[in-house]
Amino acid sequence: MIEVNNLHKYFHDKKGKNTVKALDGLSFTAKDGEITGILGPNGAGKTTCLRTLYGLLSADEGFVTIDGITVTEKPLAARAKLGIFPDKFGLYERLTAYEQIDYFASLHGLSGKTKKDAIAQVIDDLDLGKLAHRKTVGFSQGQRMKVTLAQALVHQPQNFVLDEPTRGLDVMSTRILREHLAKFKAKGHCILFSSHVMQEVAALCDRVIIVANGKLAAQGTPQELCDLAGEANLEDAFVKLIGTDEGVAA
Amino acid sequence: MRDNSSMNLYLYQLKSLILKEYKEAFRDKRALLVALMMALLAPVAIVLMSKIMIEKLVDEPPVYVNFNGAEYAPKLIKYFADNNLLNLVDAPVDEKLIWQQRNIVMDIPQDYETDMAQGKPIKLYLRADFTDKAVGPPVRRINNAVRSYSLSIGYKRLLLRGVDVRLLNPLTLVEQDTAKPDATFILISMMLGIYLMLAAFMSGLSVAIDSSAGERERNVLEMLLCQPVSTLQIVLAKLIGASTISIIGVVLVLVLTSLSVGLVDLTKIGATFTLDIMTSLTLLLLLLPICFFASACQLFVAFQTKSFKEAQSTVSILIGIPAFIPFVVSMMDDRPQWLNWLPVAGQSMIIENIFKGVDVNWLAFLATSVVTIAITVTLVVVLAKKLRSEKVVMALS
Repeated sequence: MIEVNNLHKYFHDKKGKNTVKALDGLSFTAKDGEITGILGPNGAGKTTCLRTLYGLLSADEGFVTIDGITVTEKPLAARAKLGIFPDKFGLYERLTAYEQIDYFASLHGLSGKTKKDAIAQVIDDLDLGKLAHRKTVGFSQGQRMKVTLAQALVHQPQNFVLDEPTRGLDVMSTRILREHLAKFKAKGHCILFSSHVMQEVAALCDRVIIVANGKLAAQGTPQELCDLAGEANLEDAFVKLIGTDEGVAA
Repeated sequence: MRDNSSMNLYLYQLKSLILKEYKEAFRDKRALLVALMMALLAPVAIVLMSKIMIEKLVDEPPVYVNFNGAEYAPKLIKYFADNNLLNLVDAPVDEKLIWQQRNIVMDIPQDYETDMAQGKPIKLYLRADFTDKAVGPPVRRINNAVRSYSLSIGYKRLLLRGVDVRLLNPLTLVEQDTAKPDATFILISMMLGIYLMLAAFMSGLSVAIDSSAGERERNVLEMLLCQPVSTLQIVLAKLIGASTISIIGVVLVLVLTSLSVGLVDLTKIGATFTLDIMTSLTLLLLLLPICFFASACQLFVAFQTKSFKEAQSTVSILIGIPAFIPFVVSMMDDRPQWLNWLPVAGQSMIIENIFKGVDVNWLAFLATSVVTIAITVTLVVVLAKKLRSEKVVMALS
């Protein structure tokens, strides 16, 4: 379970003259056994929020707990509970896909047969078998995504955070990802993911959190949000709830 | 028990991090080759330079003498030839004119052989313009050759008559040169010293930049920073990865140089220095902290640059340290005490002493090593702290 409590975050430029308010009292909860979607226009503070959640940034006010562990107090213990698919991801191009997954499994403390089985499982789940022993240097965007996903999932994290995971994935891969997320949900994992694709959010998420200007603009099931805005589809509801159509096209 | 298992996890993670750094470093064959090029070139450069210098200093260029009556004393002529004093008629075309102008003439009398057989004194006449500076050294050499040939015959005659030739040398002067080693030799050893420093600094350079600024540019650093590993583990792994390559560089320079120094006879120019196993090991031990220090400096700078390119140019400036400091130190007449302690400066002074054949001051050795390691540890700790700062995270995107 991921709990975000009253996060405030300001960025100052060098002279301290201009201050950007990235997060302005954001609070929400992503529960176990649910898929929670974060929606928000560009610059709404999604990535800042997620980075605070990973413990890369520290909030000026407020805190994040992951399975009850406060991230700022015990960042390593909190991260051990997380599987992360970051906003910008890259691969170690001189390693094979298998070695990358192995690397991240080891960093999460898996070893020996447990590690081997976990890697075999995730490779099988994501249909990476053919790619596993190739160096990742020539991989397509979709293949890179899959390896990154495998890296994030190999240790079977209780909480799974994905920052726009379906960018560049083909239909088949998107389906595999969706199935995978559904399976995780059924097992009682907590999934938090940000996306720009409304249909996906509508189809997949149990709860949607709409962030605008660093604040929680609205939350609820997709249907609740539509009802709240008095619109028929989520996209229109989203635009109405954030009060502008800026950034939707991005 | 819990401490033990968390320690095990810490070490297991560190091992995985290091293993990955090694895989990446050793698979980048081209970068690795460029990095070690320096080490591979060092012995070649040193051998070539020594060879040229030795030739210049030691080699006795041929002297062409116009022998009159060479046919009367074939053995003497042969002795001259062994000492590179040759007959003018044999001179190559391009040199003939010069030697004709210098016109060094030796007259060998017609009755040389009979006089020699009868033990009569023989007079050889050497004619030349003795005021001509170019004639001086050849004349000196001819003089020496005649004297030693004459002496050797004299000794043999006495021996045949049952006289101990040692009677002829009641006094022997043993010359012990207390002068500093030959300036050219100092140059060679200084060059090797600087080369070793450069190898320590340069071999790991590309790996250090690639694993820091390079990883950030390839967007893999953020993922790594989100993992349940401390930034100290990350920095340590990268430090070990880069400094391993720089240690390999230093070892290569030492091994290849000690192999190739055997090809040139440095003793000809008064060098007492050989790069034997003990010397090599001492040098390696001395340079180990420098390898870590160099990689720590490079990582420290590279992690704080904004891009791979900036990292490359900024870190290259660091190369100035190993090249410049030993140079300045060797120029100093009055070396302040604290120089012994400084990284690079301390080591380069010890290297200089090793090459001069002076006994190693182990206290200074220990002191400079400890200071170097302390600075390296400080750099690592500060860098690990900096990697947790928001500035570095913000630079990710």
